[in-house]
Amino acid sequence: MGRTLTFNIFRYNPADPASSPHMDRFTLDETERMTLFIALNRIREELDPSLMFDFCCRAGICGACAMVINGRPGLACHTKTKDLPDEITLMPLPVFKLVGDLSVDTGTWFRGMYQKVESWVHTDKLFDPKAQEERMDNALAEQIYELDRCIECGCCVAACGTAIMREDFLGAVALNRLARFILDPRDQRTEKEYFEVVGTDEGIFGCMGLLACEDVCPKEIPLQEQLGKLRRKMAFAAVKNILPKFLKKDF
Amino acid sequence: MQIFQTDLLCIGAGLAGERVAIEAADNGFSVICLSLVPARRSHSSAAQGGMQAALGNSAMGEGDSPDVHFADTVKGSDWGADQECARIFVDTAPIAMRQMAFWGVPWNRVVPGEQTYYKGGKPFTAYEKPENEGLIHSRSFGGTAKWRTCYTSDGTGHAVLYTLDTRAAQMGVEVHDKAEAIALIHDGDNCMGAIVRCLKTGELKAYLSRATLIASGGYGRIYRESTNAVICDGGGHIIALNTGVVPIGNPEAIQFHPTGIVPTDILVTEGCRGDGGTLLDVNQYRFMPDYEPEKAELASRDVVSRRMTEHMRKGLGVKSPYGDHLWLDIRHLGEKHISTKLREVQEICESFLGVDPVHQLIPVRPTQHYSMGGVRTDKDGAAYGLKGLFSAGEASCWDMHGFNRLGGNSLAETVVAGMIVGGKVVEFLKGTDTTFSTAAIRDAMHRQEARIADLVSCANGGENPYTVRNAMFDSIMKGAGIFRNGKDLEKCVSELQEILGRARKVGLRSGGKGANPELTMALKIEGMVKLALCVAYGALQRTESRGAHTREDFPERNDRDWLTRTLATWAPGADLPTLNYEPATQVFEMPPGDRGYGGGKIIPMDAPKA
Amino acid sequence: MSIPSIATHKPVVSCKCAAYLDWLQMLSGACLVLFMWAHLFLVSSVIIGPGVMNAIAHFFEITGMAQVGGPVIFAIFLTHFVLAARKIPFTSKEQGLMLQNAKRMHHSDTWMWVIQAVTAMIILIMGAIHMWVVLTDLPITAQKSAARIQNGWWMLFYLVLLPMVELHVGIGFYRIMVKWGVIDSKGRFGFKKKENLLTAIMIGIGVVTLLRFMFLATK
Ligand SMILES: Cc1cc2nc3c(=O)[nH]c(=O)nc-3n(C[C@H](O)[C@H](O)[C@H](O)COP(=O)(O)OP(=O)(O)OC[C@H]3O[C@@H](n4cnc5c(N)ncnc54)[C@H](O)[C@@H]3O)c2cc1C
Ligand code: HEM
Ligand code: HEM
Ligand code: SF4
Ligand code: F3S
Ligand code: FES
Repeated sequence: MGRTLTFNIFRYNPADPASSPHMDRFTLDETERMTLFIALNRIREELDPSLMFDFCCRAGICGACAMVINGRPGLACHTKTKDLPDEITLMPLPVFKLVGDLSVDTGTWFRGMYQKVESWVHTDKLFDPKAQEERMDNALAEQIYELDRCIECGCCVAACGTAIMREDFLGAVALNRLARFILDPRDQRTEKEYFEVVGTDEGIFGCMGLLACEDVCPKEIPLQEQLGKLRRKMAFAAVKNILPKFLKKDF
Repeated sequence: MQIFQTDLLCIGAGLAGERVAIEAADNGFSVICLSLVPARRSHSSAAQGGMQAALGNSAMGEGDSPDVHFADTVKGSDWGADQECARIFVDTAPIAMRQMAFWGVPWNRVVPGEQTYYKGGKPFTAYEKPENEGLIHSRSFGGTAKWRTCYTSDGTGHAVLYTLDTRAAQMGVEVHDKAEAIALIHDGDNCMGAIVRCLKTGELKAYLSRATLIASGGYGRIYRESTNAVICDGGGHIIALNTGVVPIGNPEAIQFHPTGIVPTDILVTEGCRGDGGTLLDVNQYRFMPDYEPEKAELASRDVVSRRMTEHMRKGLGVKSPYGDHLWLDIRHLGEKHISTKLREVQEICESFLGVDPVHQLIPVRPTQHYSMGGVRTDKDGAAYGLKGLFSAGEASCWDMHGFNRLGGNSLAETVVAGMIVGGKVVEFLKGTDTTFSTAAIRDAMHRQEARIADLVSCANGGENPYTVRNAMFDSIMKGAGIFRNGKDLEKCVSELQEILGRARKVGLRSGGKGANPELTMALKIEGMVKLALCVAYGALQRTESRGAHTREDFPERNDRDWLTRTLATWAPGADLPTLNYEPATQVFEMPPGDRGYGGGKIIPMDAPKA
Repeated sequence: MSIPSIATHKPVVSCKCAAYLDWLQMLSGACLVLFMWAHLFLVSSVIIGPGVMNAIAHFFEITGMAQVGGPVIFAIFLTHFVLAARKIPFTSKEQGLMLQNAKRMHHSDTWMWVIQAVTAMIILIMGAIHMWVVLTDLPITAQKSAARIQNGWWMLFYLVLLPMVELHVGIGFYRIMVKWGVIDSKGRFGFKKKENLLTAIMIGIGVVTLLRFMFLATK
């Protein structure tokens, strides 16, 4: 304790013609158990009421507060100042459209993503309100939930060099989402249909294995494993008919 | 002025808003949902524990039925619930859970054979029937006779919201996020949509709709210590209240959760206690069985919160720089259980407290958690006061929760009410045509533009909106917290009235261009203080103790005089809400009686007038 | 992903090209890795003695493997280049973005990719020259190699090419393993350490080999 923290914060308000992108410095005395949530709110309330940033749950579960903290994307509400040096640099997430200062528009990007990978259960069955639910193995349900834990914070996309360079790359979050539906027996999409969604250079074959996604994901979703599985599955799907029989197992 | 037109406008894209939206979209109507944040960040995603529905698949849920669920709900509400709604709710809940399963929620499922569970910190085994293998499982939650809470690990709200949002995306429901409704467009009889401030650009837009739904969640953020997300500040309630004709039902009914962590007030799920977690005091002594021999830690929330406060007042709390607290102990559940079934809890403790719950105790205290009250609707979800206005979810007072909501009942309410109210909205849309009054639209728009111009130019004064808000926080927690009494409430009301005066004089220091956050706060602060006044004034008038509303000076539940629901409206320009009352329920399936926990005396309905 | 690209590109890809190309990229890379290990084995045998190297070289010569294998390797080399080049940022804007990102993040795997892309370009040029020189002057003997290395700039040439190649090989191998999920998240960091160690050892052997050539009598 007793430290004085210096915050270098990216500032730009696109709605204000007088504003141009620059860094602002603020200093705060550190308090016990301080998080960036506490710090940023203090800066806004005590020093500069125009500072834009996003928090929602402030409990690390909604994904609203992702920003670049000393170079790496992460959840601000989740970050304790005592784990950081005296100088803290905060930038908005790249890839996503800037709203202002530290706030970005993730909503539009993610909506686009849902449409592109058709992020929903595809089935031709109709819901019967009188019937019992279809059974499912508990272990499988837990596996699906494991991938469903993604909070769409966008960190994995903002950390991925591929996504930063190539606008049309789907990003780990979308690939993980598809892996989730592939696991789910309720989704009746065939391998071929999945292939059409991600068997491309915008999809799984665009991923260069940079693994920043895995290393920044605040939910520690096993992205590397999922991307690996997906690559194998899609790659083998493409060569299925040329492959000799004994190699045709399920990847 | 940009104008959007749609059949249904949902103000809120949490579970309730999206469920209604899906129903309307399914029936071919166009729907736009507004949300302050991308839909999936809505606060519904924070609910960890689960949702109640009497499926009765699990061993500990055997023999469960909607009737048992109904009895639990009404008892839980301390007979403040509208029993017609409670009935509709319990009957529909199992269908809604199955529908969620159909749409893709990865519910935890029954694993057959001997299973080890925990109750009161002790393990026991139960035999899960092989014929139920793979059906939706359930866990225990406070205040229920059976294990009835369907769950997915401890991310139930998250999993269900993600599923619903994918379904909404599939159905073509539009979600306009980072958009805040700041006023309803109405002519005193009909609701025609809302004036919306875009939180990306700061622009004002008009949304015209034939039906409008308020599903904006709770208003916990009128308290400083709240488990709610920072966006849960009553935006939907404020615009309803500002119409002058739409009442807020039971504003004083505020629930406190026993286990918010100290200092960040993040909730750790009731599932901790459901799975066998215990509460300890400064001497690491388990005190709950002394107060509640039968249910101990699993008594309903209001009871546990009160007992905790009572115990801390005896000086048995743990002192800390952030005030007194108690300990939650889940160490005996073991590493495996904690890191799978209670993983989010573990994450919260480690990231926000630096505490490892496998080996260490968790500091907790009762924290504002849920608002039972809200936009008063009839059993179809239609708001009182304006035609074409509906409400669902935590924002509404539909009113199955009365004065205390059971854990797991609110998440279930969002999808069940969403289904029911959605159906009624569809009926309404099929049966009515609306004429939009351009005068009303222009008038509503001009009024908001003028408000903003005044704030920016400090025309009414230069009060700092954050200072005003902090004053409100201080006042309401002292006056209308867990324990209430006439003296403190009176003081609180008069303080809040003074604060309201200041709220009307706020002005900006920062120019207000674009998505300016100070302007966002300034636009809301007057409404927040009004809501706080509804709470405090409602609590002051209600001279009894019922559910979460506990008056030290009136400890009895008074069914003779107060088996009623408060209806608070706000006349334009007034300094206090107008309070009216209606009977708590028109239909008595279950006459008022003893809850079986919580103690307390009851003045029966037929007791002679004092 | 940009909104216009969602609106205009229907997600219908009835072509499997992306998958085939990825297969080929991986397989060509893997072939080259195997080749480079074999190559190291051949060339470093000179440490034991020029006779051993000559014997191995002679074996390849009489079986015809050098005459056919050489051009085949050359072809794989070019194929790999063409495939992998699809991933390399060629506009300075893209390069800048990638570099900035690696710098900002202090993230080793991202840096490793940058190294891979940079070494690739150097290998392309120097490797091609090297292969041209060696393959147009068959048969391979330790004495000829020694003569080359003791002559002019060749020593320097190899001292640059060697670490470039070994880095590229090492990282490439690691990359195949993670991209195809052969190792999982848990095994990753351990594997990376081992892989780096291997690269260092290879460079070491290479340097020793070069020194051996330097001081080998050319007759
Ligand atoms: C930490 C925590 C844990 C909980 N756990 C459980 C549990 O285990 N079981 C259970 O049953 N219940 C639980 N609850 C309660 C339950 O989560 C909520 O009651 C429920 O999710 C509310 O859903 P909703 O759809 O009504 O509102 P929300 O999900 O809060 O959605 C509100 C929506 O309205 C939008 N909005 C608000 N104001 C405006 C405005 N002015 N203009 C435009 N949009 C606006 C928001 O952006 C959001 O999209 C928990 C609550 C908390 C705080
Ligand atoms: C001795 C020669 C070479 C060897 C052994 C080799 C080996 C490899 C291997 C094993 C990979 C990983 C493949 C994959 O991830 O699918 C790889 C990737 C790569 N190689 Fe090479 N390579 C060689 C030469 C070259 C050359 C000449 C280039 C020239 C451009 C090049 C450019 C690349 C690039 C850019 C990648 C990264 C591809 C990606 O990340 O998707 N390589 N190489
Ligand atoms: C079929 C093709 C190849 C043949 C026949 C071949 C042969 C040789 C020979 C004979 C040497 C000894 C030095 C000399 O004579 O100049 C050598 C060294 C070397 N070669 Fe190759 N080479 C081939 C391909 C490659 C490729 C593709 C690369 C990488 C791009 C490469 C990288 C090197 C390096 C770095 C050395 C220095 C060796 C060391 O120090 O271990 N070679 N090669
Ligand atoms: S995968 Fe991880 S990093 Fe990516 S959006 Fe989801 S939670 Fe965030
Ligand atoms: S960082 Fe990007 S390149 Fe692939 S492994 Fe992750 S998506
Ligand atoms: S505010 Fe929700 S994750 Fe940080």
